[in-house]
Amino acid sequence: MSEGTQLADEASSTDPAVGLRAVRALRELAERLEAGHVAKAREQGWSWQDIAACIGVSRQAVHKKYGDAAGGRRRILSREK
Amino acid sequence: MFERFTTPARESVQRAQEEARELRHPSLGTEHLLLGVARVDGPAAQALASHGLTASLLRSRVLVLTEDGLDPDALATVGIDLEQVRQATEAHLGPGALNKQRPPVKSGHLPLTKHAKKALELSLREALHLKSGEIGTGHLLLGLLREGEGLAVRVLAESRVDLDALRADVTALMADRAA
Repeated sequence: MSEGTQLADEASSTDPAVGLRAVRALRELAERLEAGHVAKAREQGWSWQDIAACIGVSRQAVHKKYGDAAGGRRRILSREK
Repeated sequence: MFERFTTPARESVQRAQEEARELRHPSLGTEHLLLGVARVDGPAAQALASHGLTASLLRSRVLVLTEDGLDPDALATVGIDLEQVRQATEAHLGPGALNKQRPPVKSGHLPLTKHAKKALELSLREALHLKSGEIGTGHLLLGLLREGEGLAVRVLAESRVDLDALRADVTALMADRAA
């Protein structure tokens, strides 16, 4: 049995902390997957519009999060630090 | 602080800087110092090796503790096997695809973390205690063990190393070399 299922069994399934921790972990995992797949789609020449449609958000949202401006801001911030 | 360091001890600190930089960590912590002493031939690396700990093994443990941040146990509670997700993702997106993306670190020396500073101070104290005029890699390892709160000790503890035995081994190896 993995540590995780043990964790779920030991702390009863009614303990909110177990479920909340899982939600947080899922969100982090989803973020990482999204970043990787968006980068790959851009490499293959996909438009922001097409990427946005696939992940179910607006074109502006995906562009703001992953576009050149976001990368540029990050670069400037990391230089200033 | 570094005046009393032996050449291998200085080299270890250099290696530690390289490790931190390659991992894109913003500062130099005890975990990097541990990798540093493991990479330079000396009593520390020998003692670590005698407990089955090589630099590459330690590096992968450090990665799990720092770079990753994903929570395999929490994911397992909802039936997700992170290792399977990792394999499937890496097959599509390449190795390290699930690792956190960090911006490259600026050039120059990385600042020491509070724990790393403390560990270096303690390594001086260990050297004085052992009546050594110089601080070698063995004293650095003793300092890391004595500090006790940094990631170095967490990495060792999670590797199920007997810390007291490691301390005794590295002290004995230093005594052998001095004799």
